[in-house]
Amino acid sequence: MEFGPVLRAMMHNRSGYVLIALQIAVTMAIMVNAIAIIQERTRLMARPSGIDEDNIFYLSSLVFQPDVDQRVMIDEDLEALRNTPGVVDAISTNSVPLRGGGWSMSLQTEPGAEVDGSGTAIYFVDEHGIDTFGLNLIAGRNFRPEEVVWNDPQSNRWPPAGILTRALAETLFPDEAPADVVGRTVYINQDNPVQILGIIDVMQAPWSGWNGVERSMLVPERREWDYNRYVVRTEPGSRDRLMPQIEEMLATRSQERIVMDMRTMNETRKLSYLDDAALVKILTFITTLLTIITGLGIVGLASFSVSRRTKQIGTRRALGASRPAILRYFMLENFLVSSVGVGGGAILAVALNIWMVEAFDLAPMRWYVVPVAMLALWLVGQLAVAGPARRATLVPPAVATRTV
Amino acid sequence: MFRYYLKLGALSIRTNPILSALMVAAIAIGIGACMTVVTVHYIMSGDPIPNKSEQLFFVQLDSWDAFDPYDDETNEPPDQVTYLDATALLDAAEARRQVVSYRVGRILQPPADGARPFEVSGRATSGDFFAMFDVPFVFGGGWDRASDDNGEQVVVLSRRINDRVFGGEDSVGRRILMNGDSYRVTGVIDDWNPVPKFYDETTGAFNDTEEVFVPFSVAIDKELSGSGNTNCWQPVPDGGWQAFLNSECVWMQMWVELHGETEWQAYMDFLNAYVASQKELGRFPRPVNNRLYNVKEHLAAQNVVEDTVQILLVLAALFLVVCLLNTIGLLLAKVLRRSADISLRRALGASKRAVFAQYVVEAGMIGLAGGIIGVGMTWLGLTGVKGLYAEMEFVKKLVQMDWIMVTTAVCLAIASALGAALYPTWRAVRIHPASELKTL
Amino acid sequence: MLSMKNVSKVYRTDTIETHALREFSLDVEEGEFVSVSGPSGSGKTTFLNIAGLLEDLSSGTYELDGHDVSALDDRQRSRIRNEKIGFIFQSFNLIPELNVFDNVDVPLRYRGFKAAERRRRIEHVIEMIGLASRMRHLPSQLSGGQQQRVAIARALAGEPRFLLADEPTGNLDSQMAGSIMDLLEEINAAGTTIIMVTHEPSLARRAKRNIFVRDGRIGIDDETDLAVAASA
Repeated sequence: MEFGPVLRAMMHNRSGYVLIALQIAVTMAIMVNAIAIIQERTRLMARPSGIDEDNIFYLSSLVFQPDVDQRVMIDEDLEALRNTPGVVDAISTNSVPLRGGGWSMSLQTEPGAEVDGSGTAIYFVDEHGIDTFGLNLIAGRNFRPEEVVWNDPQSNRWPPAGILTRALAETLFPDEAPADVVGRTVYINQDNPVQILGIIDVMQAPWSGWNGVERSMLVPERREWDYNRYVVRTEPGSRDRLMPQIEEMLATRSQERIVMDMRTMNETRKLSYLDDAALVKILTFITTLLTIITGLGIVGLASFSVSRRTKQIGTRRALGASRPAILRYFMLENFLVSSVGVGGGAILAVALNIWMVEAFDLAPMRWYVVPVAMLALWLVGQLAVAGPARRATLVPPAVATRTV
Repeated sequence: MFRYYLKLGALSIRTNPILSALMVAAIAIGIGACMTVVTVHYIMSGDPIPNKSEQLFFVQLDSWDAFDPYDDETNEPPDQVTYLDATALLDAAEARRQVVSYRVGRILQPPADGARPFEVSGRATSGDFFAMFDVPFVFGGGWDRASDDNGEQVVVLSRRINDRVFGGEDSVGRRILMNGDSYRVTGVIDDWNPVPKFYDETTGAFNDTEEVFVPFSVAIDKELSGSGNTNCWQPVPDGGWQAFLNSECVWMQMWVELHGETEWQAYMDFLNAYVASQKELGRFPRPVNNRLYNVKEHLAAQNVVEDTVQILLVLAALFLVVCLLNTIGLLLAKVLRRSADISLRRALGASKRAVFAQYVVEAGMIGLAGGIIGVGMTWLGLTGVKGLYAEMEFVKKLVQMDWIMVTTAVCLAIASALGAALYPTWRAVRIHPASELKTL
Repeated sequence: MLSMKNVSKVYRTDTIETHALREFSLDVEEGEFVSVSGPSGSGKTTFLNIAGLLEDLSSGTYELDGHDVSALDDRQRSRIRNEKIGFIFQSFNLIPELNVFDNVDVPLRYRGFKAAERRRRIEHVIEMIGLASRMRHLPSQLSGGQQQRVAIARALAGEPRFLLADEPTGNLDSQMAGSIMDLLEEINAAGTTIIMVTHEPSLARRAKRNIFVRDGRIGIDDETDLAVAASA
């Protein structure tokens, strides 16, 4: 089958084909950009938080009576928690990865107000921090109990030691291996020295949408806030059983506080990425729906084209065209339209992506999304046209001699 | 004649049920997708206080770091103010009204025996807050200036808290216990949920309003730190609460009420003069960069409409374009299939205008059907969004359809269908009366 | 009644000019029954299209009922078609999804008659063609002859001054064709002018005046020489 005659026949009735090609082009522009966003969000959601999410939950204790000795209460709570069978370890801290709220500070390699710093999340922990979160210490050492200090809520003093994530270390010392950074000094609050005691592999900051989410620091400090968050790591499989039990235990241990906001890390992850997960679902749905609509449009117009050309098809058959030849004719016709469509679609898709990256700060798409979408739409076109084309092959040659 | 065209349209739809259903479905789905996003966008970008949005202004002073702007990209000043500036501007009282507020968390201890204490969200503010933001009351009202000045322990409750603690009775004059302190109730707020929550979007532009309101002076006195965001560009010196109050940390929102351009300009001049005077004291190391946005400008500057929604809006609009291209193609097919009919009618005396009217009416009918089903699709879409965001309470506020949106959906559908009908109808009108009359 | 003077019709495409009518002149008086015949491609359909105001003419003048209609706009032409001319086609051209009543109704709708007036006229013409009992039938439920009768009723419902018939019996067997011709003669006898295009000499002979068209011109305008011309 030559392209020439098919193309010339199509040029006679351009508008219908132009419409399909346009439709395919816009469909492709949407499809490519939707896939690009889906890929990006899926990648974001797949980033590890670095902690043992499946076995960790946390809950808050909020003291509402004045004159409660926070230090005693927290120490006793922690002892009770750590001695509960099924609990691996527990700490009192300010936040957890993915939670959405936390404390951030700026770290710098030289002291001084005019020196640029790197933002980092701060987790206040004691020597049980690494064990409770299930972190992977890749260099240096953990805090010792005597290094952990108490501070009042408004305090501006910082302990002289910290454990950094690998990403934070690499940001501060771009040219050095994480292990070599151990022992070095960085500055918090412009001129408070902090010695790097150890490096942990991964621990995300509490804000999943922050572009420095891999940068965190553990600080050996506890503060006498009236608001206190206990993080509990359980043995695998015991979490759900222990949660109500521990909530009840803390609630009954003191009447001067309320215990609230108990949540697993799994729930926290879900909440943190709710927006991304929803967007991925919406875009998947839109893309699927769109492909169906475009497919149906092709089916509708191809059916119309077949029924309009019944007589012509009969004549071709009478003149000796075989059924496969008729089938090929319509498939080829669709292939040509689709080619124009996906060609225009590729340009439109790239233009839209450039604009969206600019306007909404998105990551640019991967190059291969365009050819993949082109192939997919070619395939959809051929599948959609197959039905009507098969019906065309069933037109009997005798139609040619009928008058009406 | 219109009724005749309606009849012909109905007949045409009935004789081509599949083609017509495809068109109606394409429009309905396109409208559904589009209007779902448009509705969310419409609510997100709505005017939360239409009567006063031109008279309320958000105060932003650039008190930030000399070496590092608050916002690297836009150089917008911080969206909160320091305690020092807030109190100075309050005392100066250069605007018709000025209000400072910040979020606090409190534990409410209900008076009933055995009732467990619970956490409430609170707002520390001055008495002008209620008049300035047109807050509706069921019982009583806000507190007066004397209560502010004397640090009187008074409280305004939300309706929900009043229902929970006092069973919905008029509780004005009664007392509640929060964190061990006793407060006298001066009023109960009726349901009041501005969307977006314009007066403080720093912790979420679509959060619920607070449940209790206490005087700013009391909150400072009791050393209640904010439960919203606190941002500092400089280390807070030692010295506890007082040192924190005197620091350059920003943590409260400030609004002023001004009527007209002259008052706005006068207040802006006052702000600039204030910053100049502070510069002499060694504060405000950056160039003068103050802002005084009204409600709409403020919400736009703070980007309260999520990027996600804007991206979806673009994609949904393109989606509708695809649906319309689809409809144009199908309508064209329909017109071409019926060219013999058109040709005959022309021969029998139908003018071009009559043929045009006939096909426009038919397209309008398809658009109307698509619009009505599209409203249903929009409802389904919004229900779906609500389901996807089930864990986010505030999303429920964003997926409400009102009559404006229903009407918009139907009008958009009809307009789309008519738009889609233009080209096919033009083709129909051009069909020559003699062209199809001889079949041989 | 109908007067064409030096009418020409040229079809132009990018490369070819086709002269369908050349300097064609014809006068038809009120009450005539004229047959137009000629070989395929002679221009008889073009003549009919121009006579019926379905197409413009390239040059010449065309007067209908004493009015020059060669330069009217679409609306005026549509109105004249609607009010003064009735069409009958070889393939009937009934609208398949409309029943008999509604098919006859089509031109009356464009005429803007009130419902009662339309009903009166439709019932009258359908009675006249003898299909009163089939008023609610669809065209597909009727025989060819009956369909053509409906088409004639549709042409007559507006009480036009003249009928244009294009091979009205071409799709019918000879018995049905005969009865359609009887009907046309009856209509002509009642005063309606009829111009009928046909290639059947036997049918042409039933008209009072015969015109033979060749190469876009009138070859013979005579009743006696027709047989000779046709056999030539």
